[in-house]
Amino acid sequence: MGTALVGPALVFVLAINVMPAFYGFYLSLRRVFFFGDEGFVGLQNYTALLSDPLAWEAIGRSLVFSFGALAVAVPLALLSAMGIRRLGRWGMVLLTVVLVPWAMSPIVVALLWKWILVPSPGGLMGSLFSALGYPPRDLLTDPVLAMPTLIAIAVWRNFAFATIILAGGLGQIPNDLYRAASVDGLHAWESFRRITLPLLMPSLLIVVSMLTISYFNEVQVIIGLTAGGPIRSTTTLAYQLYHTGFVELDQGRGNAIAIVMFLINMLLIAIYIRILGRQPGGAT
Amino acid sequence: MRLIHPSRRAVLQMGAAAVFAPAIARSASAQGLSGTVRIWTFLSAEGTSPREVVLRELIQGFTAANPGVQVLVEPQPFQELETKFVAASAQGRAPDLIWMRDTFLSLVHARGALANLDDELSDSFRAEVLPDLYQVFANKSVFDGFRTSLPLWPSPAQVIFYRKDVLGEVGLDAPPGNWDAFVPVAGQLTKGDRLGFGLPSNDNSVSSFVNIMTGFGPGIFDAATGRFDVTGPEAVAAAEVVRQLVANGALSRTLLNAMGDDIQDQFAAGRFAMAQAFAPRFQQYRNIAAAYDPAQLSVAPWPAFGDRPPAALLGPYWTVGLSARSENRAAAVAFLETLYTPAASLQWSRVAGLVPDRRSVQSDAFYASPQAEVIRIFAGLLDSPGALTFPQNLPDITRVFPVMNIALQELIGTDEAIGAILGRARASLGW
Repeated sequence: MGTALVGPALVFVLAINVMPAFYGFYLSLRRVFFFGDEGFVGLQNYTALLSDPLAWEAIGRSLVFSFGALAVAVPLALLSAMGIRRLGRWGMVLLTVVLVPWAMSPIVVALLWKWILVPSPGGLMGSLFSALGYPPRDLLTDPVLAMPTLIAIAVWRNFAFATIILAGGLGQIPNDLYRAASVDGLHAWESFRRITLPLLMPSLLIVVSMLTISYFNEVQVIIGLTAGGPIRSTTTLAYQLYHTGFVELDQGRGNAIAIVMFLINMLLIAIYIRILGRQPGGAT
Repeated sequence: MRLIHPSRRAVLQMGAAAVFAPAIARSASAQGLSGTVRIWTFLSAEGTSPREVVLRELIQGFTAANPGVQVLVEPQPFQELETKFVAASAQGRAPDLIWMRDTFLSLVHARGALANLDDELSDSFRAEVLPDLYQVFANKSVFDGFRTSLPLWPSPAQVIFYRKDVLGEVGLDAPPGNWDAFVPVAGQLTKGDRLGFGLPSNDNSVSSFVNIMTGFGPGIFDAATGRFDVTGPEAVAAAEVVRQLVANGALSRTLLNAMGDDIQDQFAAGRFAMAQAFAPRFQQYRNIAAAYDPAQLSVAPWPAFGDRPPAALLGPYWTVGLSARSENRAAAVAFLETLYTPAASLQWSRVAGLVPDRRSVQSDAFYASPQAEVIRIFAGLLDSPGALTFPQNLPDITRVFPVMNIALQELIGTDEAIGAILGRARASLGW
């Protein structure tokens, strides 16, 4: 009976998740260019990828982008969640406002920020620089500034999602614990460190895991804002996958990149579970 | 008495029908066509850009003359047209007509996705229209006797748009036609927030670097392989031009990965005195001009090296093909032929400022009028001694432009030796 109930869902998952993944792996072992299968090449796509210094640079940039965004987004989301809980009804209004970017299509976000950041006369950022007496700065086309700018936009877009999860997690912590801590003379920081943070670990694990996957695989905002440039400074592994598979039309190698990305994602999640799951209150 | 107020759409439809129906009646209506013709193009039948307006009018004229035929435009992102078409063709859901760039023709043809138009076009079209097209474009679509497509909107593709008022500041009517003279002028035009020259450097199907190299003429492409020498003396000279433009401030060191659309928007906002631009968009540049009088906008070919004539690289450009799996070939071909009637050519010119596909149409009085000034310039470039096309089989077509754009970004944004940058580009291409 149980099998019969689970069966349809299992078939659905196999059809839309598992089978395409295996087909992607199959294609990664072949030379496929412009939708033409030119035959089995073994691990050649993988060896070519892993012996390419540009691929390693792209992996490095993916990690910089992911952890750079995480380092800003998680504390910001935690602060927002705590603020929202304190503000009561007004906090929900604030949450609704910060949720707007998360609900927007990534391409719309990219176009919006492109127009904000355009350094031309008439652009919002260009006008701001002019008003301050500075020449326009090309934040998205400067090799030094492009990556931090992308990280800032990625955080802006996603931190509200983390805020919701953490706000929910905070709501699960019994108020009695804080009252007891107050009776025992614990200051706010000590309450946060000894009560809030440990009991929030399951929520933090979810937030960090999901944001890591989200940031590591982020590609639409990069396509829309910098297209991997300038001088490859924002070419992450996800962008390289897009470029190899959909611009260069080398679908065999593109699938090899996808498999490598999948393995890195799994590795990072395993590390999180191991580290955060061991904390008091953490999931095991 | 009740008055009938026709909608704007109805008026447009009636007008279009009045203009185009007589011209297409002979070729289409008499055949009793029916069914649906699906078209994949980057244009939308609901759009408002000049080319979209004309396409809509042509469709309205065609369907008015052929009430049994429905023409369905399914817009696609322009950079995905060829790939989506090949994929759709393999899956048996390809459209009847497809817009493609000339640089992808060999790949699409190799996948067997296109019909031989010489087997499909009407006798009258082959006898009267084909010889009237620009042969440099029409012939490039023919692979060993197989006509894969028909070229649309003949143009010099990537050219230099400039503002006459700004050139006037340095006492010139037009940019110099030689790089030795062009570079210092571009530097002089940089003033305040305005840059002398804007180059897109992050498109996947356009390379400013190759455009600069065309100043050496068609000999840059190897006749046998279709490649150009990425580290050869012509490439080094082009790289030196880029470095000179950076040194004198004409190119910004921090404007590195702008795409054609970015350059277009920023040009309209007044950021550049001159910029590389796609010729068929001239009318659009006029329409969106915000920082200058549209009448001050003009166009020039690429400067040359040495004593060569100024260059005009005729591509990438658009062509229209017929799917090998089209199940409504008669109607699809009839519509395809309507794109090339004299009336259609005239309309592409009048509304969208495009060079007419039919050369004979240029005897119309419109082309002698002041409104057609830029069309005359474009037409002149097509016949100029500096005109050249990409080879029919440019190898690594999906990689060559991105690789050369990265090299261009490195030339602009770093101080690395030219030889090292070009060597890396060559290694990336495996040439």
